[in-house]
Amino acid sequence: MKCEVPSMAMGDIAFNLLVFFVILAKAQDDSHLQWQPATTAKIEIVGHPKASVVIDRENKLYLNGNETAVSSLAAGLQEHLGNSPAGDRTVLFKVHKDTLAQRFEPVIEAISEAGGDLVHVLEEKTPETKK
Amino acid sequence: MKFRRQTKLLAEPPSVATGDIAFNLIVFFLVCASVAPENGRKQSIPKSDSKTDQQQQSKNIEVSLTRATVSINGNPHSEKTFPQQLRSQLSTRTRPEDKIVVVKSSKDTPYDVWIRVTGYIEEAGGVITIQREEERTIVTD
Repeated sequence: MKCEVPSMAMGDIAFNLLVFFVILAKAQDDSHLQWQPATTAKIEIVGHPKASVVIDRENKLYLNGNETAVSSLAAGLQEHLGNSPAGDRTVLFKVHKDTLAQRFEPVIEAISEAGGDLVHVLEEKTPETKK
Repeated sequence: MKFRRQTKLLAEPPSVATGDIAFNLIVFFLVCASVAPENGRKQSIPKSDSKTDQQQQSKNIEVSLTRATVSINGNPHSEKTFPQQLRSQLSTRTRPEDKIVVVKSSKDTPYDVWIRVTGYIEEAGGVITIQREEERTIVTD
């Protein structure tokens, strides 16, 4: 009895694994950042964003996963948004719920200055979260 | 003369189907691993000019926020009465420029309070604009 693993399929399997990794890897990855969204009653599904701005629980500011300063945020956003037409300039704004106004208001101004379409990323208020 | 048959039992999975299996796996992955869309709330904030029309500004509704209080044109309200009060004030205004609501937040206003109150303003038909205090350094001789 001779049992053999079909070695000729190894190349296909390796190629497929590579394809899966490339598809799932994001260029603008901010999944490592820790923040808790604020809640709201009504939310809507947002289309594909051009950029994401995050203020995490440590009050640090990130543009597309890279730490940045408020003073350079508008310029950095303008670079990402480029000459995209209105309606295609969505900027996701993810703010930790306990962030204070003195931190997030200048960021909102910077996004507005860069001409981005601001979208607050929030969590829908459910009866459980209301408690 | 007897010949011994050499029976070789070769157990091999059908490698011909491997390509099809790989193709199906790609399709399943593409269908299932779609990027989950984000949920949120859009907000359009008019750009503020440094030279504002003071007369126009004095006509706009002003909402002041602190950590625990919210007030309309200096009159404090509870969160329960705020939406109704704001709606009644905005209903009398027909022009779009009169529906602008100036939001002034104290430095220690948390984001979730800000989101809640601005949500009420938008539901009432107001257009939010932010007013911040600027610090300027003036050098005197």
